[in-house]
Amino acid sequence: MIVLLIILFAGIILLEVPGLVKKKMWRELAAFAAYLAIGMALSIPQALGIRLPNPSKAIEALFKPVAELLK
Amino acid sequence: MLEQGKIDSKQAILLLISLVLPTAILTAPAITVKQAAQDAWLSIIVATMAGLLIAALVTGLSLRFPGKTLLEYAEEILGRLPGKMVGLLYIWWFLHGNALILDEYASFLCSALMPDTPVIVFFVFVTVVAALAVYSGLEVLSRFNQLFLPLVLGLLLVVFLLAAKDMEVTRLLPVFDKDAAAILKGAVIPASWFGEIVIFALLIPFLDRAEEAPRVAVTAILICGLYLLICILVVVMIFGPHVSARWIFPTFNTIRVVSIANFLERLESIAIAVWMFGGFAKIGIFYYAAALSSAQWLGLKDYRPLVAPVGVVLVALAALCRNIVELLNFLATAWPPYALGLFEAGIPLLLLVVARARGKGGRGA
Repeated sequence: MIVLLIILFAGIILLEVPGLVKKKMWRELAAFAAYLAIGMALSIPQALGIRLPNPSKAIEALFKPVAELLK
Repeated sequence: MLEQGKIDSKQAILLLISLVLPTAILTAPAITVKQAAQDAWLSIIVATMAGLLIAALVTGLSLRFPGKTLLEYAEEILGRLPGKMVGLLYIWWFLHGNALILDEYASFLCSALMPDTPVIVFFVFVTVVAALAVYSGLEVLSRFNQLFLPLVLGLLLVVFLLAAKDMEVTRLLPVFDKDAAAILKGAVIPASWFGEIVIFALLIPFLDRAEEAPRVAVTAILICGLYLLICILVVVMIFGPHVSARWIFPTFNTIRVVSIANFLERLESIAIAVWMFGGFAKIGIFYYAAALSSAQWLGLKDYRPLVAPVGVVLVALAALCRNIVELLNFLATAWPPYALGLFEAGIPLLLLVVARARGKGGRGA
């Protein structure tokens, strides 16, 4: 699982980065790297079997007073 | 400009139908029938009216700022920093909303059809295909949609017609058995689906005739409302309110029971084809919205470098929730205030009020 994930990330980087560097699109490269970092932070722990908190739970808690009305 | 393509009004209508209808037909009937029982069809009518109001709000707001998307005029209206905050919230909503759609899509395929396939397989496959479509741009996405959606809508109608044999109008009686509160509660869920039309505010600048946007949005909502109405009527007339409310995918079960002369049977393959396509189109549009708005938020020249990493974030977010019961519970209770209250009606309304108060933007609304 983890190996597949690393291959996937390497593939995405190989696909996008050379073109961005050649065209000197540094801003785009930074945004690409930031998104990929978020993606890695969310996916690698899951591949290793670590349970991450589900953002839906936080939203559920936030809207609980209103959501109660819909039960 | 981030997007060079232009789409015409007809393509836009079809795109908006794909944006609303697929998941609405799949999961909304169960939730609505649970609240409003046999009066669920009244809920759909109320929800359609709410959807029309949201469509009018969003297009009216967008037409005040020709050539600008929601994220760009939010900054103009509220000022730089609050505008950026609103933009960030929307990007989050596009990502998280899409993760939930991805979950619905995969859970359906997984629980109804291929229980032995790991759910991640469905996530990855549909995301890769959607990524290709998003990478090719809005024009390709809408042409593809224009090619297949009429077929999908037609097939769905045929299947519903074939189910007519088993329908009993008396299952819709008594009308108004539930009180107005229950009907309204039932309307809130489909209304939050119709409200997803707020994404249109990102696409209006790419219409070749932007002034037709209100007509486009209203037509799309009316068609979606009609389809959802037919869908709910068919489901309730076949199974009655008590059985329908207990299923996770009542529309799918409705199609499953069609049997004509012991020959025309097992039409669920059509339902699955419809859902495979519809889910893909819907995920694609949300995906496009997330990539495009991220690029606009960061002031990039091109959104395409973001397509692949956004896809990774999507799959990872979708994989966080893997329990269909939990998902449906979230959709039935937290999703309406979260989506409808905040992103579909709340923020656009706030933007319109502030724009009027500060005299920003041009004509209209």
